[in-house]
Amino acid sequence: MLVDCDIHVGYETVADLIPFLDGPTAELVRHSGTHGLAMPTYPWNHPTGWIRRDLYERGQGHVADFVYMSLDTLRARHLDPYSVDMGIVEPDEAAVFSVLPNSQLAARLCSAYNDWLLDSWLQPEPRLRGMIVVPAQWPEAAAREIRRLGSRDEFVGVFLPGGARVPYGNPMYDPIWETANDLGLPVAVHTHYESIGIAGPITAAGMPDFYSEYHTLCGSGMYGHFVSILCHGIFERFPDTRVAMVEGGLVPFVGFLWRLDTNWKGCRSEIPWCRRRPSDYVWDHVRFATQPLETPDDPAQLLRAIEFLRPSETLMYASDFPHWDFDEPEQTLRQLPAEWRDNIRWRNATEFFRLPVPVAVRS
Amino acid sequence: MLDIGGRRIGLYRVGEKLYALADRCPHRGAPLCSGAVATAVELRDGELVLGTRNGIVRCPWHKWEFDIATGRALADERLRVRRYSVQVQNHEVVVSLDPRRET
Repeated sequence: MLVDCDIHVGYETVADLIPFLDGPTAELVRHSGTHGLAMPTYPWNHPTGWIRRDLYERGQGHVADFVYMSLDTLRARHLDPYSVDMGIVEPDEAAVFSVLPNSQLAARLCSAYNDWLLDSWLQPEPRLRGMIVVPAQWPEAAAREIRRLGSRDEFVGVFLPGGARVPYGNPMYDPIWETANDLGLPVAVHTHYESIGIAGPITAAGMPDFYSEYHTLCGSGMYGHFVSILCHGIFERFPDTRVAMVEGGLVPFVGFLWRLDTNWKGCRSEIPWCRRRPSDYVWDHVRFATQPLETPDDPAQLLRAIEFLRPSETLMYASDFPHWDFDEPEQTLRQLPAEWRDNIRWRNATEFFRLPVPVAVRS
Repeated sequence: MLDIGGRRIGLYRVGEKLYALADRCPHRGAPLCSGAVATAVELRDGELVLGTRNGIVRCPWHKWEFDIATGRALADERLRVRRYSVQVQNHEVVVSLDPRRET
């Protein structure tokens, strides 16, 4: 059995969402700007394209100049050849909705996207499960969206991007945590849209010049959310909360956890709701997606570097298909000890997302 | 602060009780007893409350807090300051250099 925790699908343009939008918002999407409603985007462009070139067609006359990967392509190039039994679908451009300044527009776009996802991908392909995209900048509306869809089998969690105005442990987000906790849904924090829209800058050093810099630093927002969630005692107040850190790497979390554990000892009186050492909450509540697996020349160095994370219990395989830096399943798993592989291949993810496991696999 | 034959010991009163702690932080060996005596901040039923008045000593170096009565670090119960037994005998405070038996 194989579960892939990070497959990206997307629409070609926001106009694809029009059938799922209310009338006034559909009009805005059609007539805003000069080519319809445009989303804010990264100031850094991948020098040769951030999607695998073998998965899309150029020259179809769309604004974005490509036709996004189709469901048939996803099946033929990923789900079938790698025998992916279950793929968790994360958004591409739709992740930007939660850093739009206009939170009301964001809420409508999120609902339309989730309905589009259900209609175009999740219902036609039973191997896929969706993450609910929400307007994080408006937590009450986000909670309503989670309640609207969270009980459906097609959705298995809530997606929050790395870019945000305020870190996710802040009490303003309590409606999101409370609702996810009530419905037993995990939350995935996934790098996306740092520095964009209302999101904070990608680092306090100022804006990087190059895509190469951005892509090296893109986990920065996630590290901020990770530490914020721990320091605000989210796992004490909402005890069924599970959080996945997706596409932030592994090694940085080791360093931040060591540092936070130490700081907590000296600053405990500031955050007394953290009754346990911060890393103790991580073992019970947090999981890490493998991609992008760090690749030192000597693979043994990676194992030593991540040992503290209890990888056999906390890692979940992720491909990041169809992005340019995707990891194939065997490429990831063969770098990890054989005795960890079943857990990382499917067991940790099925527990985390509460996915059905075929009887043949369980026994 | 007492110096008994070269051993530096901090003498504390919490409420009506006396406690003697070694002037050595079990974390990195700092002079613990020169740290501030303070009241712990605790969480009870979701509310921040104060613990026993002046019930902790805070190491001056890394700010780890120790319960004066038990000697244990608030952040890590396994970590404990050496304690000495204290008694009042004939209006005099008597500190025993034998390490206090665990209670």
